[in-house]
Amino acid sequence: MRRYLLRRCLQSLFILWALVTIMFFLFRLMPGDPVGILVSADLTDDAKQALREAWGLSRPLAEQYLLYIRNLLSGDFGLSFQYRQPVWQALGEKVVNTLVLMVPATTIGILLGVLGGLYFGWQRQSRVDQLGVLLPPIIRAMPVFWLGVLLLMAFSYTFRLFPNGGMRSLGSSPGGWAAAFFSVDFLWHLALPLLCTVITSIPEPMMIMRSSLLETRGEDFLELLEAKGLKESVVLRHAARNSMLPVVTWVFHMFGYAISGTVLVEVVFAWPGLGRELVSAVNAYDYPVCQAAFFLISVIVLGLNFINDLVYGLLDPRVVLE
Amino acid sequence: MRSVGALDQSPAISFQGGSRVLRALRDVGSALWADPYGRIGACILCLFALAALASPHIAPYDPWANNYRPDGQLARLEGISTRHWFGTTYYGHDVLSQTLLGSRLAFAVGLISALLIGFIGTNVGLISGYFGGRVDDVLMRITDLAYAIPFLPFMIVIVSLFGPRVEVIVGSMSLIFWRTAARVVRSQVLSLRERPYVLAARAAGAGHLRILYVHLLPNVLPLAFLYLVFGVAWAVLTEASLSFVGLGDPNRVSWGLMLFQAFTLGAMRHAWWWVVPPGGALMLFLVGCYFVGRAYEERINPRLRARS
Repeated sequence: MRRYLLRRCLQSLFILWALVTIMFFLFRLMPGDPVGILVSADLTDDAKQALREAWGLSRPLAEQYLLYIRNLLSGDFGLSFQYRQPVWQALGEKVVNTLVLMVPATTIGILLGVLGGLYFGWQRQSRVDQLGVLLPPIIRAMPVFWLGVLLLMAFSYTFRLFPNGGMRSLGSSPGGWAAAFFSVDFLWHLALPLLCTVITSIPEPMMIMRSSLLETRGEDFLELLEAKGLKESVVLRHAARNSMLPVVTWVFHMFGYAISGTVLVEVVFAWPGLGRELVSAVNAYDYPVCQAAFFLISVIVLGLNFINDLVYGLLDPRVVLE
Repeated sequence: MRSVGALDQSPAISFQGGSRVLRALRDVGSALWADPYGRIGACILCLFALAALASPHIAPYDPWANNYRPDGQLARLEGISTRHWFGTTYYGHDVLSQTLLGSRLAFAVGLISALLIGFIGTNVGLISGYFGGRVDDVLMRITDLAYAIPFLPFMIVIVSLFGPRVEVIVGSMSLIFWRTAARVVRSQVLSLRERPYVLAARAAGAGHLRILYVHLLPNVLPLAFLYLVFGVAWAVLTEASLSFVGLGDPNRVSWGLMLFQAFTLGAMRHAWWWVVPPGGALMLFLVGCYFVGRAYEERINPRLRARS
């Protein structure tokens, strides 16, 4: 187990390093002169040169790279252009806001998907089973941002049941952590973005679970259980446990998708998370925030993947021995 | 796709290789038509293809034209009427014309990205699976990296750096989405390369290139085609997502751009006719792709699970 953990840990760190390196070079490849883009193109050449020296842009690339890595490791993402404060201060709470939306939503979505897959895969009426074939691709084809807009149109503008965005009502200042994330006001704001994310994370586990269960249904041990006269629910439980593995494997890839969906949901519902911050930083040419937001999003995805690896290792001992 | 015949020296064998590719393509067609979902999906996609081809001629208005009412006022946010079947936007643009013309960009983005995705993915998978060893290690680590990148944030950063142009969007998508095709093709090649006919070809003195592209490629083409279909869907959806957050090409009509404008101007409060057509078209297009992909996937490999 310890070797497995260590290997997974090193892998995640390697990927993070690779991403950071790609980002560094991408920002250097950016067309145009950074001083011209970030400050003003009208500066005198002397002033531009002075700024370049002050920012370390005149030093050799390798030295810049080392400095960049050192700053990242010490949590120094630089100063935000739009907020005029350290990036870390601007982004710290956004990480929490993103996680608060994404983790419960994907968990509920996967659970519902698995249950749906079990239901449709266990069906013996061909009519209902056809629904199990038809539904997932249709839900999957619904672009998450369009679904969000439709939800807003229905529940916020027409029926006025839910707020049209944001995380808290204006003027409500949460006192303390528990009050911040468990107040009625917060949950009321969370409802629509959560629903939107849940719906979009249902179809994939549903498809995988259904086809996996269909395969398991043909196996001999189930026939034996049925012949023993066990109740159908017990037989289903055995079948379900034996067809879970493909879903668990699939979860490895899903966080990359889930975060992309979360970014869009945050934009639609004005949810103050990392994704919305990334988009607004891009529009404001706030490159330090942009870089830091991407870095933090990558850390979230890698971190969730790592946790998933651990759970997988505990569930299936064969993985660790491999 | 790479032409097989071009790599070949002897004309007799190049014909054989070519006919195998043709047969693979014919199998694709019959597999699709055999399945009801495949038929529905193919019909949907054909309709969109027709709309894309004919839209400059059948669109009632220029998509960027500011239309005016008979009394001379800008036709701003007009509802459904006989003059504007799907109503107009805040700028007085005709929604039906924009939706029709949006299918052109969807097809262009989808097909070009899918070809790039298929080309990169198939080649990485072929080379990785065929050579194995260190080549395989390096290529698979790069594939892992492509999987680990949060792709939409990555593309948002790329577009912000290199400008919101269609070429940039298509290029950066292709640099990520080849990953699935590469993995699946590789695992197929791992088993194919041990088959007797590959050994026979090697014994007959065939070089690596020849074995890769004459003997192995035709056998993985059906799989590669599957990822071509999914590639179209991913590419179109991603382009629309980028456009929706305001990072699409502002000079081209696209469904994502229409939704972006409707959203940022707050028109979705009442102008449902501006929101439903582009989103519905996008969804229908993706349904077509998924149905075709699904039908085809079941046909070539019922046990295949790589759906991500």
